[in-house]
Amino acid sequence: MNKKIKSGIIFFLIMATNLSLSYSPVLASGKNDVPITVTDFRGKTLTFSKPAQRIVCLIESALSGIYMLGAEKQVVGISANIYQGNVYPYYAAMDQRIKNKTVPAPGNWDFVNIESVIALKPDVVIIWSKQTESIAALEERGLHVFGVFIEKKEDVYREIIELGKLTGKSQRAQELVEYTKKEIERFNKRVKAIPEEKRQRIYYMWAQGNLETSCGRSTVQDLIHLAGGKNVCGLIDNEHMVVNMEQIMAWNPDVIVMWYNEKKNPSDIINDEHWKLIRAVKERRVHEFPEIFLCDLWTLKFTYAVKMVAKWTYPELFRDIDLEREKKTMLRMLYGKKTGN
Amino acid sequence: MGISVKDLSFSYGTTMVLHNIELNAAEGKFTVLLGKNGSGKSTLLKLMAGLLPCKTGDINIMGKDIRHLSISERAKVIGYLPQFHTAAFPFTVEEVVLTGRASYVFAVPGKKDMDITNEAINKVGISHLRQRPYTELSGGERQLVMIARVLAQEPQVILLDEPLSHLDLSNQIRFLALIKELIMSGLTVVAVLHDPNIAFMYADDFMLIKDGTIRILSGDERPWDASILTDLYGVHLETMPFRERALVIPG
Amino acid sequence: MSIPNRTFFYIIPLPLIIMSLFIGPSDVITSQDILAWMQNKIIQAPSLNQDKLEMVEAIVFNVRLPRVILAFLIGSALTVSGNSFQALFRNPLVSPDILGLSAGAAFGAALALVFHILPLQLTAFVFGLLAVGLSYFLALTRKGVSTVSLILAGIIVSGIFTALLTVVQFLTDPFKLQTIVHWTMGNLHNASWSKVKSSVLPILLGIIWLFIIRWRMNVIALGDEETRAVGLNPEQEKIMILLPATLIASASVAVAGVIGMVGLAFPHMVRMMTGPDNRKTQPVSIAFGGSFLLLVDDFCRTITSFEIPIGIFTTLIGGPFFVYLLKKSRMVFRES
Repeated sequence: MNKKIKSGIIFFLIMATNLSLSYSPVLASGKNDVPITVTDFRGKTLTFSKPAQRIVCLIESALSGIYMLGAEKQVVGISANIYQGNVYPYYAAMDQRIKNKTVPAPGNWDFVNIESVIALKPDVVIIWSKQTESIAALEERGLHVFGVFIEKKEDVYREIIELGKLTGKSQRAQELVEYTKKEIERFNKRVKAIPEEKRQRIYYMWAQGNLETSCGRSTVQDLIHLAGGKNVCGLIDNEHMVVNMEQIMAWNPDVIVMWYNEKKNPSDIINDEHWKLIRAVKERRVHEFPEIFLCDLWTLKFTYAVKMVAKWTYPELFRDIDLEREKKTMLRMLYGKKTGN
Repeated sequence: MGISVKDLSFSYGTTMVLHNIELNAAEGKFTVLLGKNGSGKSTLLKLMAGLLPCKTGDINIMGKDIRHLSISERAKVIGYLPQFHTAAFPFTVEEVVLTGRASYVFAVPGKKDMDITNEAINKVGISHLRQRPYTELSGGERQLVMIARVLAQEPQVILLDEPLSHLDLSNQIRFLALIKELIMSGLTVVAVLHDPNIAFMYADDFMLIKDGTIRILSGDERPWDASILTDLYGVHLETMPFRERALVIPG
Repeated sequence: MSIPNRTFFYIIPLPLIIMSLFIGPSDVITSQDILAWMQNKIIQAPSLNQDKLEMVEAIVFNVRLPRVILAFLIGSALTVSGNSFQALFRNPLVSPDILGLSAGAAFGAALALVFHILPLQLTAFVFGLLAVGLSYFLALTRKGVSTVSLILAGIIVSGIFTALLTVVQFLTDPFKLQTIVHWTMGNLHNASWSKVKSSVLPILLGIIWLFIIRWRMNVIALGDEETRAVGLNPEQEKIMILLPATLIASASVAVAGVIGMVGLAFPHMVRMMTGPDNRKTQPVSIAFGGSFLLLVDDFCRTITSFEIPIGIFTTLIGGPFFVYLLKKSRMVFRES
């Protein structure tokens, strides 16, 4: 144990010397450029002399933003979650380095290996702003940390704009946000006409459990609102919560939207004894999102989620919309030619 | 009948505690085991009570080989009073005495068990303590509760391991009177006692144990001989004649 | 404060259960609706429209009733189990949680949920038993088992099984941490008839057995040698307590996670009312333990429209209680 700590201290000392050596030339050479200033979601202002060339991004949703910006070459470390689960094929298709698993993964949304992050000598580390301990540990060692926290769609726009500045792709960031706003407006325009009393009431179900949902202060709330529906628990000022079955019966939603769930399908809910009296189940209006990569609510891809929910909720109103085509167009617009399919 | 022990040896691990013990405790008599601390008296008592496994030799209680009795059959024949006792829960005296009925009860004791329990409590003279928590009693009172528990077992033989150690003088005398009473009613009692004077005043027979063996007395030797006792306890003792036996005093 | 009569606890469960069916987080159905539904069930008088009737039935029969039954069963099981362990170890400071049983059973149950071939209740039981055994043998010295070493061994065993549970969750569950919180904080919001079915048999059998042998626990509580002297085989008797007490605690954990401190605090509350005689504590544990946990859960499910794991409440109630007991019984520490 003691030995471990000792070698750890020695390692950090060596690392610290390395860092101070490697930083000075960067700072010196940056004098000619206009300094870049970004504000992260903690409200902390970071100043860079030039666009970040070595980015460690431990959040999958933020990484997808970096790929949209076309700044993937500036990424030197990613979240371990990229190599697991169902997002891998998409990134593998876009990036040969990820396909060959050569990009280091020094952590994920939950855990950060401080030592490995430092070893990558990053210009900036992007992680969740609630990972306060990891942030403190990284900042203590002189690293820039860009903390992210997404609660509403404006946060997603803001994230892209700030990441655009950070990577030197501000123009592309503007384009992406414009495009997304336009797409949202295209759908939102139609649902605006729906009178309040005809708005469908939607229960959103996370994959963790049938009774886990998101309430008033969440991207889910935005999603449902933009699609013209009403979140059954929208009046509760919470992000994530577990509700009572009885409460759901009382809400009696018209539509149930399931987050992508490996273990359950809409048919499982429809055939569940507990759910049989819910209007959405009686009317077979239970829908499940496809894989997370396509509709991640914490990315600009939430437009596709909005489109799906809108069409599921008001099939008549969106009769002309082909979701498959919408998806392909969106992927092309956001990622360019990178995603082949 | 009574208790007969033949060729009994016992060891804790590799330490021999008892060697070739031969012993007879007559039915309806009060027999006392005398000896120094660590001489093996308590071990011998536990072996007779069946609380330690008898591997070498034979122990017969009321004509039955102790090894052939089940635990519950044995409890109906032998009552054993341990030397130390603690309780983690504040059971009432009545509840503690009632546990003596364990070998007669399947699930919950009935009226007959309650009656016998009350009888035992009265006999020992602790009916005023009946509803008191056992944990709040003095050492002497606890000893009386435990003897009541032994009586509730309705045994034929009672084995007592230093029963007087926590009792004050008046309680000692009451306790010894109780033993006399039990003997009169036909019970066989074997006790380990510290004080040879009390033993010589109350008991019928004596077994002298030294270093795990019984000290056999030759024809003209008596247990209350000064030389025998000096040898037994390893300190110089003198005696003076008293009621056909003797009183022991430090020399 | 006067302590209610014992009969109070035998009478209270039924009205409490019925009352619990009438309360819930929502006002979607009223008491009148429920009464009308019952009337309809009993005398077949159509007093509500079909939709309303179905709704009442679904809520009362499919949502509230299984939860009420499960809360009562688990409350009884954990209290009886805690009381039995305390008699078995002759130690008023042990409980299924403290002995590591709960953590072991939670690990077993999580394992069974991952590997579907393992039967849930049996796996929970086996690991619960393993955990108690480990705690016991870790604490065992030539001089016997002291309270302090038993509690320390329990902490170690609990820690190990909680860590193993975390490993299982990490390797298999995409939502990892939330699920672990659910296991370790215990919850009843997933109560369903299938959970009742899975746990009712082991819990009832175990409770009945421990009720039958309740008086023998008085004998056991006085010590091994004393037990043997009055004619019971202490080893055999202890196994007869250990197995059913483990069974009912692990069956509870398997369906509801670790509802902390119930097994420790509730038996004490019972003994405060009845004294230590297990002839009284066992039946009162069944009635009081079930009623009290049901009451806590009623509170839990009606106070807000979202679910708070019940284990949070019981631990918050029981934790300070445990500290109080530790302070009060420092004797136990000294003596052992």
